[in-house]
Amino acid sequence: MSPIFLIAIPLILAFLSIISHKIAPYLVIAGTLFNSIALWFITPGVHSIGGFELPIGINLYVDTYTMLGLAVVNLLFLCVVIIHIQKQKKYASVLLVALVGLNGLLLTGDLFNLFVFLEISGIAAYILSTSNQKPYHTFQYLVMGSIGSSLYLFGLIILYAMVGSLNLMHIVHLIETQNIPYSSLILPFLLMFIGLGVEAKLLPFNAWVKGILSHAHGFVGSIIASVYAATISFVFGRLILHVFQFEGRILLVITILLLVGVVLGEAMAFSTSKAREILLYSSIAQASIVILLFVQGLVIWAVYLIIANAIAKFVLFTVIGHASKEQCDELSTLSGLFQKHVFVGIATTIATLSMMGLPLFVGFLIKVNYVMILANQSQWLIIIVLILSAVVEGIYYVRMLTKLWFSEQETPNVQYAWGVQALLAIMAAFLLIFGIIREPLSRFDDTIDQITEEIEVLF
Amino acid sequence: MIQYAAILMMMIGLYGLFINRHVMKIIVSLNVLELGLNLFIISIGYVTGGIAPIMTSTHATSALLYVDPLPQALVLTSIVIGVGTTALGLAIARKIYETYGTLDLERLEDK
Repeated sequence: MSPIFLIAIPLILAFLSIISHKIAPYLVIAGTLFNSIALWFITPGVHSIGGFELPIGINLYVDTYTMLGLAVVNLLFLCVVIIHIQKQKKYASVLLVALVGLNGLLLTGDLFNLFVFLEISGIAAYILSTSNQKPYHTFQYLVMGSIGSSLYLFGLIILYAMVGSLNLMHIVHLIETQNIPYSSLILPFLLMFIGLGVEAKLLPFNAWVKGILSHAHGFVGSIIASVYAATISFVFGRLILHVFQFEGRILLVITILLLVGVVLGEAMAFSTSKAREILLYSSIAQASIVILLFVQGLVIWAVYLIIANAIAKFVLFTVIGHASKEQCDELSTLSGLFQKHVFVGIATTIATLSMMGLPLFVGFLIKVNYVMILANQSQWLIIIVLILSAVVEGIYYVRMLTKLWFSEQETPNVQYAWGVQALLAIMAAFLLIFGIIREPLSRFDDTIDQITEEIEVLF
Repeated sequence: MIQYAAILMMMIGLYGLFINRHVMKIIVSLNVLELGLNLFIISIGYVTGGIAPIMTSTHATSALLYVDPLPQALVLTSIVIGVGTTALGLAIARKIYETYGTLDLERLEDK
């Protein structure tokens, strides 16, 4: 099956959902269900659209890397829709557009098309964030997002003027064959990096994150911090691995920038006492770690880290976002939350411990492996920063968990539906099972990304 | 040469975004930035002495000097996206005014 259906069907349903508001929520469920099932049947390889062969037409590209991204994003999106669609019916059309944008970002092999999907998913995210009822922060997000995508487009157009193509694989091939000096490519690459960095929450382009996520309830929190973050990381990873391929002094600058992002993110999370701020600063640090791993060329462990983070952040933002909206945001007012909700508490604890990278959980396996590979590459500075950040992360997460489990005062009155609890339990089980049974993870290695082989076949 | 003018326009837009503390002025600055970018895209396709990239009975060969048609197609998409973002920005600006009673960011940050 052609992967275009993952984009076309939700788009058709989005148009239909405008006609009748009554059926709109069902259309969202139908669209996400269709994508979650259909993604297992799509054919790998290059798919030209409209009969225009590469490099003239737009193409979609599917390999194991894309498949993993599609599976994570669509299944998490389905979970968000199942949990929240009842209360967020008016966002039905926007959710479908968001689904279109996210699938398009993962599938497209054309860099201008990527900009279009970036804007589609961006506009959907701005509208979804209006459900926080904080229009000023939504406006900030819109302005930052628009500047980011403008810079990406600016960089892309300069790149087009230099190499004469917009197709990702063709660009990689042309850069190699035309022997364009790397020094002249730095400007477009940096502009594109900054443009995507805004959406990927990288320091210093992430001023919007605090406004959006510190006021986010379960719906916006889980969709922006989990689904969107995973998609952008997958897209960013592909561009870093094949197009940017940072080297020399620029590699050093980018690495230091990302390390500063990790340190500051963890320090800010450590210094705050608000539950949602802890999560959002932690996700800033985690986003920097993922991009850092891609910059260092660690494909598979970066991908596993994206997946583990997306699942853990989904659990945390669903639980904390919901509780914080009902009560106050301060940890002290949420203390003892899990005394009444033991299942939710256990799921959250597993997600948190996996994020911290404790043994028995999948986070540990991922952390150990990437630290080992970095040690083999003698990247001691990165290892020291990552280990220090893990220690800081451990302290503030344990402090948060202790507050949420134990309380001497009256426990907050928050209700979680049974369906939500069941979903959270499945997610937590996933993090636990893959932490103990390690064989499935060793099935994949860095060869999940097959663009280089595909370029050799095509050109 | 026209590229420098377009980049200058983008810089003016960016400068406006950094110094303005009013929602409407920020939207205008964003538009100036996008307009500069669109002019830059169009200027990339310009070829001195080139003709419109359409094959006609008088120009029935592809060997002639045509301007690059691709940036023209790209800029159309970019303009449409810009209009969409501006419309959404204005809708949010209206919501900001309804909620806080002001469009001045200095006063908004206190609320």
